[in-house]
Amino acid sequence: MPRVLEPARGRADTFPAGTSTPAGTSTRRQPVLGANRTVLLSALLVVAVAALCAVATAPSSARVSVGVAVLVGLAAAAVIVVLAIRQADGTARLVERLAALDALTERRAAGLAQLADDTLPKIVAQLRDGVSAEEAMAGGPPPADPAEQRILRTLAEEVGRGERMRAAAMAACANAAGRVQALATSMLADLRDMEDRHSEEVLGDLLRLDHSVSQAGRLADSIAVLTGARSGRRWTKPIVMESILRGALGRISAYQRVRLHSTSTAAVAGYAAEGVMHALAELMDNATSFSPPSEEVHVYVEEVQAGLVVTVEDGGLVMGPAALRRAERAVSAEALDLTTLSGTRLGLAVVGVLARKYGLTVSFRPSSRGGTGVIVIIPRQLITQPRPDGAPLPGAHVTAAPGVPAGGRGGRQAVAERPGEPAPAAPPSRDAAHPAGTPEPLPKRGRGETLAGAARAAALATSPGGPPAGQDGRPAAPAVSPGERFGAFQQSRARARSGETGPTGSAGQQPAGDTDAAGAADAINATDSREAAP
Amino acid sequence: MTRGHIDRENPDRLYTITGGRSRADADVFDLVTLVVAECDPSPGMQSEHVGILRFCRSARAVVEIAAHLRLPISVTRILLCDLLDAGRIVVRQPARSAPRRSAVELPYAHPELLREVLVGLRRL
Repeated sequence: MPRVLEPARGRADTFPAGTSTPAGTSTRRQPVLGANRTVLLSALLVVAVAALCAVATAPSSARVSVGVAVLVGLAAAAVIVVLAIRQADGTARLVERLAALDALTERRAAGLAQLADDTLPKIVAQLRDGVSAEEAMAGGPPPADPAEQRILRTLAEEVGRGERMRAAAMAACANAAGRVQALATSMLADLRDMEDRHSEEVLGDLLRLDHSVSQAGRLADSIAVLTGARSGRRWTKPIVMESILRGALGRISAYQRVRLHSTSTAAVAGYAAEGVMHALAELMDNATSFSPPSEEVHVYVEEVQAGLVVTVEDGGLVMGPAALRRAERAVSAEALDLTTLSGTRLGLAVVGVLARKYGLTVSFRPSSRGGTGVIVIIPRQLITQPRPDGAPLPGAHVTAAPGVPAGGRGGRQAVAERPGEPAPAAPPSRDAAHPAGTPEPLPKRGRGETLAGAARAAALATSPGGPPAGQDGRPAAPAVSPGERFGAFQQSRARARSGETGPTGSAGQQPAGDTDAAGAADAINATDSREAAP
Repeated sequence: MTRGHIDRENPDRLYTITGGRSRADADVFDLVTLVVAECDPSPGMQSEHVGILRFCRSARAVVEIAAHLRLPISVTRILLCDLLDAGRIVVRQPARSAPRRSAVELPYAHPELLREVLVGLRRL
């Protein structure tokens, strides 16, 4: 039957050419129809001739009746033939239309495929890049079909509007966050001013306010980071690690549960300090919120070749594999996908953005304390030594003798006990601060102190008896300063007064001579470690 | 608040320095209480404690220490209390015989001396 075959042939013929019309297919099909018609007509003719012959040969008595019968039969046959021919014509027209529709469908399908696979993705990509809907539409050839054009236009407009809305919402959020940041910063400065001015009665309340404002500031910082705005403050000087950790600590609610263990004297470059602090604050906040309130969170700092390693360990829940994967993905190198944000858990997304911005490496592992440990590596490029002429940091004279265990404060001994901790690489400027040939018991010149001030302090420490500092191979005994003598006097007086034990420990009860010895031993220890360090 | 003030600040907030305390446990420290370090700072100590120990190698008054650390007096007192509890400093009340009431009894606060100081100051 041609009806089955024709569409297939028609498709094969018309589709690649793309120009064929229904007229073309009908001319091609015409001979078939004509042959059918000829066959039918000639059959009718043959039948008619045969009938006439039959009429002619019939006996005359029956001729009339035979003639009538033949006429009737011929008429019927003619009617049938005419009907058949018309039927065949109708069928042929149907076949033609079907073929035409098939071709149309094919063209539409091809057009749709192009729209879906090529045009639309291109336009959407352009719209995501901020191109307006009209420009994006004008960029490529428009689809031939008007309906497709309408679809494309509607879609482009909708996506464009969505994109504009997203951008506007982000900008509004960023702007609002920036304002809150500025407010928080100035409030913190004001509060600090008030804390200086007001007495103890008000201080507690001021500190509470200070804490709340700090947390609000962190929230604003988080929103600013997620919306791609610049983070809160710019520090104009390198910030020492202790301040970084405490700055991070001050921004979380349960800061009293966090224990810091750091002997590092390194500082983080000013431009990155805020980001590092913020990332650490988010991690510490996670650690405190995902561990029971009775557990402490421990933060360790160690200096390695790659930079500074900060470990935040909690004793809370161990992260499941799924949570671990999510966390790793959040802080991985992939760009932030806003759709992965859940309303309440912004912390890791913020850490991820900050880590990508400053090149921090963040990884997770089960903690030896039973909870989760987060390891942050601050790259070496961000680590500096604070400028000597920077604002004096109160008491930044940490003597980083790594081998000497911290005495007195039990919590801080953990630093020295950590296995595999390399001796913190002595930064070059620290050696520069102690000129050769002055193996003093302790670094005399702290950051922010002038050399003259340091020399004065040294002279003060050694003048009453010992040789001047810097000339002697042996460390000058600090205990002979007037202060130490007074201390010894005070102790002896305390001892004389009925052996009152008091809070002063065994070190405080030693006579002056023993104190000297202890000081010298400490000094030697410190000197040894310093020599071993570089 | 001036911009300069903000720039001069450190990220540390006072409550992180005191661990959340706003009041010293003991009422030992006066503004003029003299403090002397008993030992040298050890690694891992809070930098403020290190600063106090280094600054107080000779006897220093609490108010001096606070000025040196640029911290409020109350915060300085808390830090000093920590050090006192750990036995790292000793304390001398300048007027232990008559605490707080009469600074006049101090040898260096004699009225004659004070008057001379006043005269000297006026001359400046």
